[in-house]
Formats: sequence, C-alpha cells, structure tokens
Amino acid sequence: MTKPTSDLLLQSRREVETRKQRIASFVLRQDFILFIIFIVMVGVFSAINPRFFSVAAAANILQDFSPVVLMATGQTFVIASRGIDLSVGSTLGLSGVTMALVIRTLNAAGLNPIATIVLGLAAALVVGGLIGLANGLLISYVRIVPFVATLATMGAAAGTSLVITGGVQIAGAPRAVILIGNVSYFGMLTAPVIVVLFILFIAWASLSRTRFGRWTYAIGSNLFAARAAGINVEKHLVKLYMLSGILSALAGAFVYFRLGSGSPLSGRGGELSAIAAAVIGGISLQGGVGRLTGATLGALITTAVLSGLILIGVAPNWQQIVVAMLIAVAVGVQGFGRGGRPGEQ
Amino acid sequence: MNQKDVAKNRRRLYAVESISKRYGNVVALEDVDFSVAAGEVVGLVGDNGAGKSTLVGILSGVHMPDSGYIFLNGEERHWSSPHDALEAGIETLYQDSGIALDLTVAANVFLGREILKKGFLGLFGFLANREMQEHARKELERVGIAAPPANRPVSKLSGGQRQAVAIGRAVAWAKKVIILDEPTNHLGARQSAEVLDVIRQARDRGLAVVFISHTLPHVLDVTDRIVVLRLGEIVADQATSTFTHETLLKAITGLR
Repeated sequence: MTKPTSDLLLQSRREVETRKQRIASFVLRQDFILFIIFIVMVGVFSAINPRFFSVAAAANILQDFSPVVLMATGQTFVIASRGIDLSVGSTLGLSGVTMALVIRTLNAAGLNPIATIVLGLAAALVVGGLIGLANGLLISYVRIVPFVATLATMGAAAGTSLVITGGVQIAGAPRAVILIGNVSYFGMLTAPVIVVLFILFIAWASLSRTRFGRWTYAIGSNLFAARAAGINVEKHLVKLYMLSGILSALAGAFVYFRLGSGSPLSGRGGELSAIAAAVIGGISLQGGVGRLTGATLGALITTAVLSGLILIGVAPNWQQIVVAMLIAVAVGVQGFGRGGRPGEQ
Repeated sequence: MNQKDVAKNRRRLYAVESISKRYGNVVALEDVDFSVAAGEVVGLVGDNGAGKSTLVGILSGVHMPDSGYIFLNGEERHWSSPHDALEAGIETLYQDSGIALDLTVAANVFLGREILKKGFLGLFGFLANREMQEHARKELERVGIAAPPANRPVSKLSGGQRQAVAIGRAVAWAKKVIILDEPTNHLGARQSAEVLDVIRQARDRGLAVVFISHTLPHVLDVTDRIVVLRLGEIVADQATSTFTHETLLKAITGLR
C-alpha cells in the first residue's frame, strides 16, 4: 500500500475549480472572444449596409474564406509543432496553374471533361505534396530552420509558376469547371465550399482528437520530450509539411474552380493571410497550443471584414491596415492580463 | 577487466562495456564499463563535464557510442533511437526536460504510448482520453506520488508537481531499468524524501535503478553501489557502504 502522500495532493485538492471559475475561464476562452468579435462585426456592417446581412453576401464571404481557411488549417498544424510554412501562397499558385495547364492540354486532346478535371486535380495535389515533402525533408534532415526552408520553397514555387505559364493566365477550362465552382446549393454553398467544410471537420478531429494531433502539440511544446517518448519527430514533421502543402494545393484547386483559370500570381501574399488567420485565432508561434476552431474563426473574421469594408464603401487600399489592426486587437485581447514577458503572446 | 569480471558484468541486467564517445576533439567518455543489476540502485556521480549526461544518453538510446558494447539480459543490443530503448523496457527521466508543458498530465504520462479508442475510431488514431486520465491517476498514485488532476496542463502545476509527473511516468512504464537524471532537483526536503521512497519501491519491485545526482546525501542514502566518473573515466565503482561523504567527495573531485 502506498501512502497517499504529501502537500502536493493537498494543493491539487485546493485547486478544484469552482463553478464561477469555470464560467470565467469559458468566457475568457479565445474562441468565445473571437465569436463575439465576429458577431459585433456582422452587426456593425449590417447596420451600415443591410446588404451585408444577406445570403448573397454570405455566399461571397464563403468563397473568399475557403482558400484562406485551407491554408490557415495547414498553418495551424505546422505552427502547433513550432514551425511555420511561408510557402502556402506560392503552393496555391503553382498547383492552380498546374491544374489549369493539365486540364487545358487534356481537354484540347479531346479527353472527357470529368476525366480531365480528375487528372488536373490529382496533378495539383501531387504538386502540393511534393512542395510539402521538400519542406519537410529540408527541415527534418538538412536541418534548415522552417522559416528559411519554406522561404526557399516559396520562391522556387512562385518562380516555377511564372516559368511554366510564361507569366500569363491559363484559361481554357471546360464549362464543367465553372459549373462545379459556381453553382450553389441553399443559395450559398457551392460543391467546393461543402468539400472545404468537410475537410475542416476532418482536420479539426485530427488535431484535437487523434494521436497525430497529440504528437504535433507534443513536438511544438517540447521537442526533446517528444523524441525521448519514442516519437519519430523527423517523420512526423515531414507529414505535417506535406499536409500543409496538400491543403494549399486544394486551395489552388478551389480558386481554379471558382475562376475557371489559373494565374501564376494567385496566392501571392496568401501566406500572410493564413498566418494572420491562425494568429488571430490564438495559435501561438511558440508552438504547443492553439485550436483549429480559433484559426477558422480567424479566417472567417479576416475575410468577412474585407467583404464588409467593400460593402460599406471603404477604399480597398485601407483593407490591409484594417487587417493589421484586427491582428493587434484580437491578439491583444486574448493576451490581456495573462502576464509573461513583453511580446510573448 | 579480466575474463571473470566480464562474465560477472554480463550477468547483470543492464551493462555497457568499453564505451567511448567523442565530440570532435573532446573526449566525453573513455573506455567506460557500467552495469546495474535487477533490484539494485546504482548511483552515478561526477563533477560537471565528467561525462554523466553522455553516459545517460548512451544508456537511454539518445546518443550512440563511438565504440563499445551494450548488453541487456546478457544479450548484445544496439539502440538507434530512444524508441528502441523504451521498447526494451528502459525508462529515463531526463534532467529538467522530459515533459511537454502544454500537454495535460495524462497526455504526458501516455506520450508516445497513447491508448486509442476501441473499434472504428481507433483505426483512425482517435484517443481514449478519459481512459488515459483514469489510468494516469491510478499509476501516479500507485508509485506513491501525489497525483495532480490528470486533465490539467503541466504548465499550470508547481515545480514539485511537474517533477512528480515526470517521475511517475518513468516509474509507471519501466519494465526493467529506470534511469533518473537529477530527480530531486528543484525539490524541497520533504518532496525529495518522497522521491527517494519511490526509488526504493522501484528497487523492491525488482527494477534496476540508475540514480544520477549532485546531492551526495541523497546518493549515500538510497544507493547500493556508487560509480564515480571523472573526466570521462570511471575512477571508483564500490559498494555505497565503503564511502563516507568525505571520501566520495574526494573521489569526485580527485583532490586529496
């Protein structure tokens, strides 16, 4: 019989939370704060321009939101492991033009439109997976820090997009592409948007409920402890960057379905939107923490605010400034009263 | 070592022989023999830079020796990662760095060995969190360590509680050998006494225990045998009863 030891136990008993504390901690939870910010924002925009509170506006926001949230999802996994992926925007661009080129070529060869779309999508996913694989190998085995490794692949992917397209937009999509990307159900959900929402759910379950997610947080929290616990850290990181690459490729495919063309310039700056969404969502660059619900709300808020600003007549040039302020406010509110060293949120 | 010694060494549960390790031009370990038997507590002491951490790393599979042999149950083994050593029943508590602060107590206890849900969801790697919390609480209580709430992030715990989690994790999983690197660091007198009790219990359960510490009274109190490292070489390997605080200190520093 072991004795029920010590002051440690007494301390833990004292720490049993009261109901009041539980409510307080729920109210202070990042997701809840973000949700309130979102509701207030919708209220303000709708009051100024009632058209903001419409199915059509919601449909538009969902179209803008989807590619951003796909990249932000990959980013959340990567940042939770204490990494960063700067290549997501360029990956969106390269996979989009790859898809456009494959579909245009096969279409010109007289292949069935659905078959060309399937092959084009597969090509896009392979491109995203390969960029992610390159990132993962550079980080895990060549031991380049994530910021630099993904900066390199970001440049390589953006350059490749320009080379293979000659710098011009690739059109020539079969009509089926436009239909898939723009016919909506219930007034606001296109097929790709439905797929994105489904992917989000899978990703959320994977990060918060599975061993894969648990190991991701463990690596971000304490690399040494994760390795000592027998986790193959290198292999896991490769998987994470491949996941981010594939999600960015899906974002590229999404944009292609929506526009019916692939531009070598699309996705430029996408990494910043993705990181902004994740950071607004309470994902700490220190790694080890952060929920996908936060990043999703972050992506929703940033895309909704851009739509809203247009609808209330703010000049597009102001948009970046507003997003910047959003980052400062959202992150500041979440960190308020939490203590710690300066700049540690 | 003569042949007889070698044979004796191999009868011990866990042994390394003729281990050398260099980092560039720096010799961390030179021709080191070290062993521990089942039901024995061996103290590993030495000044900073004596090679203790390197030897711990080799015993736990973190480092690979440049030359030398590793024997478990008399069979030669090679560890290419900590995972190999864990699989073989060797648990290690690393000084200060063994736990992930952002994860809960239960997640830390089960890190790398998570229990998955039964059936369909388990195939996709879904975690059985409630089950792990329950087991973690029981395991920590079983090893005699006061259990902080299993669903609480370790970052919210006091230093003593964090250490309790790390020790509890190592003791709970150890099947053959347990290596404790400075387990009484940052602990008060009373908590240290608890940890020493945990070590005695582990020994009584038949585990081979390696205890690394700078706190010589703890070493003299709990160990059966003490191995002294100095500048990468073993300078003493004797029963604890043959040492006094003064002679042990002299062996460590090499001063007369």
